[in-house]
Amino acid sequence: MTNFLQVLVVGIGDGAIYAMLGLGLVVIYRSTGLLNFAAGELSMFSAFFVWTLWNAGLPMWLAILGGMVGGFAVGALLEKVAVSPLGDPGSNPLPIVIVTIGLFIAVNSLAQLIWGTLEKRFESPFGTGQVVLGGVAIQWQKLGSVVVLFVVAGLFFLLFQRTKLGLGMRAVASNSEAAGLCGVPVPTILMLGWGLAAAVGTLAGVFTASAGNALFTNMMQLTLIFGFAAVALGGFDSLGGAIIGGFVVGILSSVVPQYIPLFERMKLAPAFIVILAVLLFRPEGLFGHKQVERV
Amino acid sequence: VSGDPRMPDRVTRAVLWVLLVVVVLAVPFVFADQGFRLQQFSGWMAFAIAAAGLNLLTGYNGQISVGHGALYGIGAYSVALLVSDQGWPFLLTVPAAGVICFGVGVVVGLPALRIKGLYLALVTIALATLFPLVVEQFSSVTGGRSGKSLTSLQLDPRCVRRRGEEACLDTARERAVRWESPIDGLSADQWKYFLFLAITAVVFLLMANLVRSRMGRSLVAIRDNETAAAVSGVNVSRTKILTFGISAGMAGVGGAVFALNAGTVNPTSFTLLLSIYLLVAVVIGGPSSVMGAAIGAAVYGIFIDVISPELPERAEAATPLILGVLLILQMFFAPFGIVGAYKKAMAKVTARRMLAAAAEWAAAVAAQEAAESQAAAGTTAGAAAPQVGDDRHRSGDGDG
Repeated sequence: MTNFLQVLVVGIGDGAIYAMLGLGLVVIYRSTGLLNFAAGELSMFSAFFVWTLWNAGLPMWLAILGGMVGGFAVGALLEKVAVSPLGDPGSNPLPIVIVTIGLFIAVNSLAQLIWGTLEKRFESPFGTGQVVLGGVAIQWQKLGSVVVLFVVAGLFFLLFQRTKLGLGMRAVASNSEAAGLCGVPVPTILMLGWGLAAAVGTLAGVFTASAGNALFTNMMQLTLIFGFAAVALGGFDSLGGAIIGGFVVGILSSVVPQYIPLFERMKLAPAFIVILAVLLFRPEGLFGHKQVERV
Repeated sequence: VSGDPRMPDRVTRAVLWVLLVVVVLAVPFVFADQGFRLQQFSGWMAFAIAAAGLNLLTGYNGQISVGHGALYGIGAYSVALLVSDQGWPFLLTVPAAGVICFGVGVVVGLPALRIKGLYLALVTIALATLFPLVVEQFSSVTGGRSGKSLTSLQLDPRCVRRRGEEACLDTARERAVRWESPIDGLSADQWKYFLFLAITAVVFLLMANLVRSRMGRSLVAIRDNETAAAVSGVNVSRTKILTFGISAGMAGVGGAVFALNAGTVNPTSFTLLLSIYLLVAVVIGGPSSVMGAAIGAAVYGIFIDVISPELPERAEAATPLILGVLLILQMFFAPFGIVGAYKKAMAKVTARRMLAAAAEWAAAVAAQEAAESQAAAGTTAGAAAPQVGDDRHRSGDGDG
């Protein structure tokens, strides 16, 4: 039982990271109906910003804040330069998806050129300590990632429900044409959406790096798939779904390899099965809205 | 008026085809002493076959897969297992790999039926990331991280002489497979090259026939407007799933050629990056063009095998950066790739020549008209005028 709880704790900690990445994916999906395949690599890139600032002597928390600002700028810039000029993703999504895949390899390779392929030591913002409850060790790091996730989720709620900017974002998500006619600056909103997603993604990158105590350019590739599994399960357009989906995927990918020998070295396999099963049997996910299309 | 204005396009096309055939046939003799180059070229062919499969899916059917590298890997591992563990003859393993991947493709492609949009990309990117882990999980069969060589059992000839073949199986040793050319004057490398060339040619011929068939037209109809296709009597679900199956099968055949060519398979050859590079090749060469995949594969091969090794060590990591940026730029400036750009240029030339021909003809008519009106002053000139306008209009239609 203790062992199971221990594995569960690890899964919850991982799940919080997947949920963070998932939140960014949902923000972009809601505004444009697009899956951002470059989300993981952008998180990695801004995690390197954080490392650079931290390495230059800044305290970790300040470095993370700086990295989020940098991530925001990169995300918004890419949307402006590479995504929005291709037109409406709703009517012709293929070129934009190809662009995000191009960004995937370009950003990864750029990071290798700038920071090299060697692993960088990365410290957790919550230190290395842990608390032991009934024989189950809970690292501050894991607890911290869950707390940060809920803080971010709370801020998202405030942003979307209580601010004019959030209202504009919701308007664009629900009908961008009508929103534009009502005076919502749609292009700016879309750009801010990408920036916001990249800023939250920074946190996913930071926590992925600090969970393994190492920062390297390929670290987000698995996290990205877990994040996708989370939003597929929760529903591509549901922020709450991303959080619950993140935890479910995190727990599954921690528990299943531990107890089923067939999956021993395939942490990703449960997530793959989740994606396949959800798309087959409930494409809108647990909390998402059904895709309705008018002819 | 001189000849058909579309002639230059046809002539260029014929010249290009002849050039392609000559180059492809001459290569193994030009590079006769450079076995590694011939092996690289065979690798390009394997890549081209898989890219053609992806092109069928992405270019013709408008579905996107970021997982064809995994299917390529499944094809390659099928060959390695069938040759080394089951003792199958090499060439039989190629269609077998195709059939296996067809099956995998049908299963993985099922979600594409349920929802529109680009969710297939989601499933396939997960597949591409998962594949190397699967290879490691089942390392007792696949050889895990260290890979698996294509081997055959080598019986000790002395033992066979004494005790017969059956009794010697347990003392037999595994030996890396070797190719022997059955034709005098052709080295093993050259023989391999021609064999793979034949496979590649067959796959491309089948593909060219497929896209011109009823099914090929259904694919394009679904891509352009799924609802309209369904209303016109296309069985959308069946066509989509069959397309993904065939596309996956082609990736499997490509992987099979890759494995036979390399003689060994390793999980590091079939990462997500390979899947993305296949997509790059399709987009660069020209989606929805049969030869586009081959051109894209050649460009990719030249980039990876010829240019990239010449770069300074520090810049070698830039290869994906350059390809990624190229991919993005292309979406902006030449979404239909090299073939698309060629077609556009040719259409311009043809249009210009057609306009010139029409103008020439109009001038001739006008001259004739003037002569006629001079000869017999009266009403005949008025009737000829609209006819000129008509013809110019008709030439204009032919441009598109």
